[in-house]
Amino acid sequence: MGKFWFAVVVGAALGVVDGLTSWFTPAVRAQLAGIVVGSTFKGAIAGAIAGWFAKKVNSVPLGILVGLIAGLLLAWGVAAMQHGYYFEIMLPGSLVGAIAGYAGQKRQDVRISS
Amino acid sequence: MDADTQIGGANARFPDTHPSVISAAASDDAARRRPGQEALIAAYWKPVYRYIRIRWRCSNEDAKDLTQGFFTAAIEKGFFEAYDARKGAFRTFLRVCLDRFLSNSRKSASRQKRSGELIEVDGDSPERIFEREWTRSVFEDAVVELRANFQKRGRGLAFAVFERYDLAESPESYDHLASEFGISPAAVTNYLASARRELRKLVLERVRGVTSGDREFRCEARAILK
Amino acid sequence: MISDKVLARLKTAAELPDLSGTRYRIVDQIGRGGMGVVYLADDVELGRSVAIKVLDDAQEARVLAGLEHPGIVPVHDAGVLPDGRRYYAMKLVRGARLDVVLEKTPHLPDRLRIFQKICEPVAFAHSRGVVHRDLKPSNIMVGEFGEVLVLDWGAPGVGTPQFMAPEQASGEVDGRADVFALGKILEIVIGINAAKPLASICRRAMESDPARRYAGPLELSADIAAWLDHMPVSAHRESVGERLVRFGSRNRTLLALLVAYLILRLIVIFWLGR
Repeated sequence: MGKFWFAVVVGAALGVVDGLTSWFTPAVRAQLAGIVVGSTFKGAIAGAIAGWFAKKVNSVPLGILVGLIAGLLLAWGVAAMQHGYYFEIMLPGSLVGAIAGYAGQKRQDVRISS
Repeated sequence: MDADTQIGGANARFPDTHPSVISAAASDDAARRRPGQEALIAAYWKPVYRYIRIRWRCSNEDAKDLTQGFFTAAIEKGFFEAYDARKGAFRTFLRVCLDRFLSNSRKSASRQKRSGELIEVDGDSPERIFEREWTRSVFEDAVVELRANFQKRGRGLAFAVFERYDLAESPESYDHLASEFGISPAAVTNYLASARRELRKLVLERVRGVTSGDREFRCEARAILK
Repeated sequence: MISDKVLARLKTAAELPDLSGTRYRIVDQIGRGGMGVVYLADDVELGRSVAIKVLDDAQEARVLAGLEHPGIVPVHDAGVLPDGRRYYAMKLVRGARLDVVLEKTPHLPDRLRIFQKICEPVAFAHSRGVVHRDLKPSNIMVGEFGEVLVLDWGAPGVGTPQFMAPEQASGEVDGRADVFALGKILEIVIGINAAKPLASICRRAMESDPARRYAGPLELSADIAAWLDHMPVSAHRESVGERLVRFGSRNRTLLALLVAYLILRLIVIFWLGR
């Protein structure tokens, strides 16, 4: 699995976990399923952006930053649709993106040169 | 292969068959034993005497008496025969015998008010004191022999330069000596080099004479020149 | 009677090598090592300073001349003195002895890297069939540019008791005797209260049974490298806790990100969720 897909998978997996933790907030517990699905997509897309970046630029700090920003923006988008819970969604969401970015940078791409 | 014989080969200038006075002094053959003992005593008289004076704070007369007494006892009681080369240097063995003799002679109390008391000289163990005095006497004897050799070979000037530089308490510079003797500084360097070379040879010969084998010789040679 | 002062001078003088027939001029005595005395000398032909070592025995020169390695001091020249002793001229090492350098290097990874550099020339010599037999801090120099040089090769028989492997007493030695000495040196490098894996490395290098030690200096150096990389050390069996800690230090960034996520999540849950 190359950098891109690895970052996507990591982002999605973290998205699932992140979504599941919303169980601890009673107010939104009822919508758990929807949150988990949304969070998974959010993580996957953030991972995709970070993974694409990782293929172009080899820099761990920048990779983390790109992931962070991607996660933040996506989370903001979701929060806007929810009309609320901005901090609750954006803060952890940005870190999910950051971790996906880190994973993408660290993953070794196997290049087959002819 | 015995490392000793291998190294002995490279140092062929020192004859391996040099008769050891130590084995002579311990031999059953009286014709060899007497000269062997005398040679040992000659080599060790001064160091023993000085050691006694330093370590036991005796007067000149008492030290002489004790030195004489020690060597007499050594011959009568066969100290030299008891030496085992595998256990260490002969010099150390002799010193230990000497210490034992001295403390026994103290215990035979009749001489108490004349012999001194045992003092540890600051920082120096008995072993070091004895080693130093032995070294000193070896060099002194070698210098005497050097002087005689050089005089005999008409190299009195070389010895004089050596005496003024290496034997002086505070030697002058090469240039100073050169002008004093009316020779070039290069000549000063050469004379010193040749005198030192000869001195080294004589010192090592003496060490050779009182050691009982290659290994001990190398140990003692290193100790004396350190 | 000769005074102490004169006696000392005579001893040094009698020992001085007579190099008058050669292109070297003695300047000063710089030290005593292995089987001979080392002098600082001028090579008047090439106009440089060299170190001259005077020996009783020709072995060491021949041994050294056959070893070419950046960590082994190069022999330029050899000869016989008028009095029969042999000498050789070698590169003058400008630097400091290992013990001095270690005092000035408090950072443990730096000390370990210096130690690793000591292992290389020793391993090279072993590959050429030469065992040092007298490795110790005073035989190791660190040059002005960080290069490490191991001196005093091939001293037969006489080692230094503190650093001597047990089997050296009986004379049957191979490269693992040097591994033992390296272990003793490592002990000094890591100091007291060292990390457990490092202590285990030391212990393994200093096993009384040579068969239980590292096979050679490179294996020892590899374990040090592993420790520096937060990888498992072959000499040490780690507990679960130690393994986790090692994982953490190897992946510091990831750990930081996960912790940050956790903290934010907890803040969100407990504070903002009220």
